[in-house]
Amino acid sequence: MSREAYVAPTSAFNTGTTVDPGPGLTTQYICGDCNQKVLLKQGDGIRCKECGHRILYKERTKRMVQFEAR
Amino acid sequence: MVRPATRSRRQNPADAAPLPHTDHSREDEPPEAAKPKPKPNPKPNPNAKRKAATVTPTDNDLAVRSRRRRKDSRLATAHTARNDGFDSLLEPFYHGKSMTDPIDTERDKWNLLPAFLKVKGLVKQHIDSFNYLLEVELKQIVKTNRTILSDVRPNFYLHFTDICVGKPTRLDENITDFSRYDWTSTVTPNECRLRDSTYAAPILVDIAYWRANREVRRKKMLIGRMPMMLRSSNCVLNGKSEMDMAGLHECPLDPGGYFIVNGTEKVILVQEQMSKNRVIVEVEKNNVVQASVTSFTHERKSKSYVILKNDRIYLKHNVLNEEIPICVVFKALGIHADAEVIKLCAGEDQVYQDIFTPNFEECAKLGIFSQVDALDYVGYRIKIINRYGQRRMQAQEALEALASVILVHVPVQGLNFRAKALYLAFMVKRVLMARHDPRLIDNRDYVGNKRLELAGQLLSLLFEDLFKKFCHDIKMTIDKVLKRGSEEFDALTCIQSHTNHISSGMSRALSTGNWDLKRFRMKRAGVTHVLSRLSYISALGMMTRITSQFEKTRKVSGPRALQPSQFGMLCPSDTPEGEACGLVKNLALMTHITVDDDPIPVQRLVAALGAQDISAANGKDLYIKGAYLVFVNGTPIALTRHPKRFLNDFRKLRRLGRISEFNSIFINHHYHAVSIACDEGRICRPLIVVEKGKSRVTKTALRSLRAGTIDFDGLLSRGMVEYLDVNEENDSNIAMYESDINAATTHLEIEPFTILGAVAGLIPYPHHNQSPRNTYQCAMGKQAMGAVANNQFLRIDSIMYTLVYPQKPMVKTRAIELVKYDKLPAGQNAIVAVMSYSGYDIEDALVLNKGSVDRGFGRCQVFRKWATTLRKYPNGMEDRVGDRIEENNAPIRKHALLDEHGLAMVGEKISSNEVYIMKQVPLNASSTAIGSDYGSGEYRDTPMTYRLEDPSYVDKLMITVNEADSRVIKMQTRQTRRPEVGDKFSSRHGQKGVVGIVAEQVDMPFNDEGIVPDIIMNPHGFPSRMTVGKMLELVAGKAGVLAGEFQYGTAFGGSKVEDMGDILIKNGFSYSGKDFMTSGITGESLPAYIFFGPIYYQKLKHMVQDKMHSRARGPRATLTRQPTEGRSRDGGLRLGEMERDCLIAYGASQLLLERLMLSSDAHQVDICETCGLMGYQGYCQTCKKTEGMTKMTIPYAAKLLIQELLSMNVMARLKLEDEFPA
Repeated sequence: MSREAYVAPTSAFNTGTTVDPGPGLTTQYICGDCNQKVLLKQGDGIRCKECGHRILYKERTKRMVQFEAR
Repeated sequence: MVRPATRSRRQNPADAAPLPHTDHSREDEPPEAAKPKPKPNPKPNPNAKRKAATVTPTDNDLAVRSRRRRKDSRLATAHTARNDGFDSLLEPFYHGKSMTDPIDTERDKWNLLPAFLKVKGLVKQHIDSFNYLLEVELKQIVKTNRTILSDVRPNFYLHFTDICVGKPTRLDENITDFSRYDWTSTVTPNECRLRDSTYAAPILVDIAYWRANREVRRKKMLIGRMPMMLRSSNCVLNGKSEMDMAGLHECPLDPGGYFIVNGTEKVILVQEQMSKNRVIVEVEKNNVVQASVTSFTHERKSKSYVILKNDRIYLKHNVLNEEIPICVVFKALGIHADAEVIKLCAGEDQVYQDIFTPNFEECAKLGIFSQVDALDYVGYRIKIINRYGQRRMQAQEALEALASVILVHVPVQGLNFRAKALYLAFMVKRVLMARHDPRLIDNRDYVGNKRLELAGQLLSLLFEDLFKKFCHDIKMTIDKVLKRGSEEFDALTCIQSHTNHISSGMSRALSTGNWDLKRFRMKRAGVTHVLSRLSYISALGMMTRITSQFEKTRKVSGPRALQPSQFGMLCPSDTPEGEACGLVKNLALMTHITVDDDPIPVQRLVAALGAQDISAANGKDLYIKGAYLVFVNGTPIALTRHPKRFLNDFRKLRRLGRISEFNSIFINHHYHAVSIACDEGRICRPLIVVEKGKSRVTKTALRSLRAGTIDFDGLLSRGMVEYLDVNEENDSNIAMYESDINAATTHLEIEPFTILGAVAGLIPYPHHNQSPRNTYQCAMGKQAMGAVANNQFLRIDSIMYTLVYPQKPMVKTRAIELVKYDKLPAGQNAIVAVMSYSGYDIEDALVLNKGSVDRGFGRCQVFRKWATTLRKYPNGMEDRVGDRIEENNAPIRKHALLDEHGLAMVGEKISSNEVYIMKQVPLNASSTAIGSDYGSGEYRDTPMTYRLEDPSYVDKLMITVNEADSRVIKMQTRQTRRPEVGDKFSSRHGQKGVVGIVAEQVDMPFNDEGIVPDIIMNPHGFPSRMTVGKMLELVAGKAGVLAGEFQYGTAFGGSKVEDMGDILIKNGFSYSGKDFMTSGITGESLPAYIFFGPIYYQKLKHMVQDKMHSRARGPRATLTRQPTEGRSRDGGLRLGEMERDCLIAYGASQLLLERLMLSSDAHQVDICETCGLMGYQGYCQTCKKTEGMTKMTIPYAAKLLIQELLSMNVMARLKLEDEFPA
């Protein structure tokens, strides 16, 4: 409810995505349909660039994971 | 488990050669037997195909051929055909027969069953009914509501000329014009599940309307979206091969028949109801006999009664203020002469006439002698429903009510009430008969008096309601615009602005399960349920479930009891225990539910078969000796003197295919009635036709069925099999086996085991079990873990249990093969020793072999969904995923597994209280609607944390957008669990038990070949439960293991125990299944032979890890300050009322005090001795003084109660006494 200052309409109303002022960090996702790697910036629409599929999966971590085998 | 055990077992070379079990039966046949026989009627077969086919020895089998016909493109995969859906048919036939074996109609007629299921499928009822909705009912609904007129401009009109439903589309594809190009969407059901969207198809109408002095026609205008039933005719899965299904990420074994609404799978359960438009005679208390009928037409639903009380007969109906003497009604209906009335109602029979006669007196007393008198009398007693105040003449009112409210389903043409009068007379006759002979009172619970309502019917009611509302809304908007007088008005815009109404109405009804229809005053809750995906069988079991409309609280046993008439139609075993027992039922394997059929052709046929039209008949004709009334859907339409011939002719024509095979006809000799039914919702099943003491399914027919030249529909059209509904079935003489056929037999059962449903079909040798055990197994089979579906790893269900190494059961049943349980099994073949071991096996506890557990027995995976939606707010702000919090250049402990975007990393271990999505919510999200407000741009952290005690691994993390275009993030976690003490296991015989101890393998007993059991079961489980089937399963399983083939425990058949004993003996074992065993602890031989062999065990979803809970101190509820409840809230363990009673009885007062107050909600209060009210800090607010204040400890809940009473103006004072009086 802060009404102190007028905030310029640049901040949050462009095509319904969040705007991240930070550097263009990208993550790799994998398309659920064509298995292509999809590079997404924060704020990009969720969509495979190859086939237009809208379900993306995150890639598996590169870190080492240890399982307890019982 | 079986596999390792068998390998070590037989070393002799003859048996050692591993043979696929399908080849076994063929071993001793001449080699040419395997070659394809020259077919009597060779089809044009491409050579290549033939070549590919000779690779498989079973190429002549029905399945291969039929598949070849279906999918010509798959030449190369001919030898992989085994994986196709029909391999149960590829198996050697019953009792190990192959193509060339002689056919025995007695044994092989069961082949009709797979043929039936191939045509009909397991949940075909749902799909058929939905298809009927799409293809027929929608068109009918639109036809009856096709025109919208305007009150303002008389020349305006809008016609809906046609309606169709397209293929499923996505909402965000935003297709508006369906007429221009043939758009094919790539949407798949699984995408809808993952994206939380609705799998729906556009409803398109063709319209013609008036625009500016000319007619405009538009094709395929969108009026809404219809949720699409999976595998229905318009579903993308329809007609897809197994290969295509895999491409669509869909399981080929999934039965379909459900909907996907907002990402959840919803089933419309089959609803059981009393049949509509049928008379049912009942006796109420104090000897009131009543015949009632629920009339149901598209416009109206009403219930009319003919009541016999105090020796008078009355007509009762909701529109009538009081009951009307029946003679008055007949007069009003235009039957003036008393002689005619009595002839119509009672016939020539003196007994019935005597019961009926007093009614004339009543009529005469009222002074009603003409139709006008009667109509006035009736009209005076009609409730005023005329909203416009202008009351018509009473006679008019009466005519109106009699024509279109009372008994609406009997058509009245003009003012010809003859048909209605006859119907009423027939109801009176039924009442008279029931009065005279109480045996003629109808049984409400008789399955023939029931109708099953399916998804299509329910949706059509819903759609009709929504469509009417839609039309009404359009009319309103049109009127509003036209009133303004705009000439260039286009009605199209109105349609487009209302499309959301139908879509949202449909999906809301499906997702909430509330069917609220104003028109029929129908208010039903709980129509839909979320499809249970615990296991394949639980999903399948849900699709065949039937719920009844009876309330569960009523203490009547009738509706719950097993009805003899449900034989073969509803499963006798599969019903839940407890409150819904007997009310929730399941369909049997071969049940089919009819869809509506047009009665007009049937009526025409009745006339053509020589029955005389009833409207020309008088009372004498009706009840003359040997005259039978012909009823079509409960309404008398004709009269015949030769009922038997009529019936036979009708059946003959049905078998010839001149009318629908689902029309039924039967004779009721009590009522001298021939009843024909073609309405929807009747339960029916196929049977083999027997003529002249011979089964019509011959060897030739079975041979061609096996060869694939004929399918089930072919047999149907040749009149070899036919469908009988419950009423007709009870009028037939059905032989169970071919040997039972005699001169009177009319039909032959296809296979006895089809009386069971899909879930009960899993039980081996169920006919040897005590019946409640089979019922218990039906409940438990749905909780068993196993494979869920072939696409189980592509789905993200809120919880999913899978077994790591599921196995096919050693002892199968035919039903298992038919429902393809062996493709998605839920259990493992455990080697069981039935003996006592340690003390950890009492009360059904099981001893598990630690070695087996290490090797993977009972190992399961638990998948959980953790989802969130990044919402959008009206001011343009939306939730976002923030950055992880770092300290010293490393993320803080809670954020350890977040990556730089604030999402958990896939593959990482996630433990309690760790954050997996760093979600942030805008601080200022409300819209002020003044100018352009964008919020302050500040966010608050609302991290999503992992709440479970036990750690999991992040299996996958999915990001997508839903239909509202907000982001959806779903994380799936995985736990792998090995069995531990307290986990629940069950065999397939309702014998559940928890693991009592996991014993070291070295300590377990072993037999002379060194085989150690996986499970030791206490023999005390057998005597009281009488699950002989379990013992037979063990013996048959053991024989199967030794012979290297699966055995069958099919109900009323299956492998014979004698044969199993022979196999055991042949392999050097005791025929009884008992083995000599040595103790693993002492090395001594056990003093008894141990019953030892494989039994299929299911791991049930109840595991200690999910239930284990303890608490010393912990959170308390804010209101009462008592400990919270439930494991999820780290709640306390309640000392309940009954425990409290024990402590009181025992006199343990200090313990009581401690449990109920000190350890719960002890609270110090100051009480004023003078006023008895609570003060604080030693001061009484009421008395304004400090003297006489006492400190006391009371439960906080008590203090709260006193204060709540005070707040309600109830004064509660505490009176104090000395604690230790002098």
